[in-house]
Amino acid sequence: MPELRRDPVIGRWVIISTERAKRPSDFNIKHVDEPEAECPFCEGHEKMTPTEIFAIREPGTKKDSPGWNVRVVPSTNPKFKIEGNVDRRGAGMYDVMNNIGAHEVILESPRHLTDIYQLSEAEIQDVINTSVYRISELEKDIRFKYCLLFKNHGLKAGGSKKTKHLRSQLIATPVTPTRIKEELRGSMFYFEYKERCVFCDIIRQEIETGSRVIMDTKTIVAIAPFASRFPFEIWIMPKIHRTDFMNIQADEIQDLAIVLKTIFAKLSKSLNDPPYNYMLHTAPFRRAKRLGYWHTIEEDYHWHIEVMPRITQVAGFEWGSGFYINPTPPEEAAKYLREVTL
Amino acid sequence: MSQLRRDPITGRWVEVAVTNPKIYSDFDLKPQIKKGGTCPFCPGNEKMTPPEIEAVRDHHKTKPDTPGWTVRVVSNKFPALKIEGELDRRGIGMFDMMNGIGAHEVIVENTDHNKDLADLTPAEIKDVIIKYVSRSKDLENDMRFRYILLFKNHGESAGASLEHSHTQLVALPIVPKRVKEELTGAQHYFKYRERCVFCDMIAQEQQEKDRIVFENKNFLVFCPFVSRFPFEMWMLPKTHSPEFKSIDEFAIQDMAAALKDVLMKLKVRLNDPAYNFIIHTAPIRDGFYEEYHWHLEIMPKLTNVAGFEWGSGLYINPTSPELNAQYLRETKI
Repeated sequence: MPELRRDPVIGRWVIISTERAKRPSDFNIKHVDEPEAECPFCEGHEKMTPTEIFAIREPGTKKDSPGWNVRVVPSTNPKFKIEGNVDRRGAGMYDVMNNIGAHEVILESPRHLTDIYQLSEAEIQDVINTSVYRISELEKDIRFKYCLLFKNHGLKAGGSKKTKHLRSQLIATPVTPTRIKEELRGSMFYFEYKERCVFCDIIRQEIETGSRVIMDTKTIVAIAPFASRFPFEIWIMPKIHRTDFMNIQADEIQDLAIVLKTIFAKLSKSLNDPPYNYMLHTAPFRRAKRLGYWHTIEEDYHWHIEVMPRITQVAGFEWGSGFYINPTPPEEAAKYLREVTL
Repeated sequence: MSQLRRDPITGRWVEVAVTNPKIYSDFDLKPQIKKGGTCPFCPGNEKMTPPEIEAVRDHHKTKPDTPGWTVRVVSNKFPALKIEGELDRRGIGMFDMMNGIGAHEVIVENTDHNKDLADLTPAEIKDVIIKYVSRSKDLENDMRFRYILLFKNHGESAGASLEHSHTQLVALPIVPKRVKEELTGAQHYFKYRERCVFCDMIAQEQQEKDRIVFENKNFLVFCPFVSRFPFEMWMLPKTHSPEFKSIDEFAIQDMAAALKDVLMKLKVRLNDPAYNFIIHTAPIRDGFYEEYHWHLEIMPKLTNVAGFEWGSGLYINPTSPELNAQYLRETKI
């Protein structure tokens, strides 16, 4: 019997097929090797990108020259423009504003690598530190309400045809995106009712049950969520309640690096380098001047990373209804990923 | 400078490229190629599907599950939900779940393997819509169901697993999330203005004209101001009505004409792109949604939805709905 499961945060229902459960080998992911153009993101090609915003580099090396470990540059194809005013206005019944925002690319390695597990733990820590720093810098721009950190890996996940160079992207927006708002509302609602954080409750129950835990470290846990929308969907969460990703602590950065390295190595091995997206969900920027956020947000929201392998076609049914069919029960996905040896 | 536009129903923001939009020829489009082979939906192969639920056929001369039909409704052979059983709602600790009870049917739109919905005549499309209505009405009698979702996947990248043109119907024991958002949005708007947000949209689109693709007596098709995807189109009945199934015969005729026109334009202009369409209607047995206005959303699949869109629900549309509407209006069919 298929099951209908409800996401406890936003109330989305998902169908989990339990009978014809798909195993990793059923997905049969193929890759076509297409020649890549000269990579603008490799060390030595710094002049091919816009001027760097920030870099972790060897002492004594100059901006836009070799000698870096992580490098942040503006996107060459920005979805948002940094200059100008937001200028909110109406057009009849519709609302419009200028798409002011920042769009940055975090180059995660000077070498031409393609997946994050190929980095060492220390290198991943540098990447995390850079992300934290850039988000805290973007918060200073009062036009922005939200900053989204995400990665598109592989063509099907929206990755670029030109180069596969390992990178993530940061977009700061003048609005809080819908998907985030839903989560914020859901967590607030849960808190009003129970006076507990819904994510903390999820973590507690998952660790107790164990069947959906993929990896558990001292401070960070990775699970296959109860109402996974996609096969092999993974959530990575800090075990200590933290609202903002920016407040991540040193020991959490260490553990997060280990978790990212392990999880993506396992995903790549078991599903033959599947396309995936991951994104950071953190609380919106809150400023004393601009009220409008509820007083419990510090207690009710909990940052986390969502990993979504893109191995099934999302069809009209899912789009139109926001109701997903997942052919792989999360318990099986978690078991499989736990058991993969690297 | 491109714009951020806000959907007046759900409050979703979309980035729309009003300057330097991509034009239709920028999309690398290859036509859908049908591979052929043995098809369970072709006449003569009726035994390959579960038994027929309904069909348009001469019932005196032909028998169910034999050739002689023009539209045929069968259960999905690999249903996402099972029809037998109780819902058995329950909790597991903090989580909620129930059994996957529901109906999953397939409406085979015509006998010709190589003809898509766009290739049918308006009269043939009318027969298909009549089946949408009669199946909706029938499934509503099952007390376990709260929502009936009609949708079509055209082309492999839109999720079609069988290439013979068909529409799917799913009856669900819950109201799906996307629909709930729209219902809440429409109620919110109504509370404030005592008007239907969709009726207001029709009025504004008719006034501004630049996003209209097709119009007849009962239907308006336009590229919405807040299009999430390139060449997205909404088809709205001009008369306010919360439920699709209450559509009358004249409206069905106009809906068939509208579907024929816009699907054909899409096919001609964009080289037969993959697309999905979905009928959004009010839930059944869940109060009377006077504020809601049923409609059909067409979403061509021309771009890959990337991580940013998934994670944020903030869509980036590299085209402009005004320009897309103009392209489609000017397409000769």
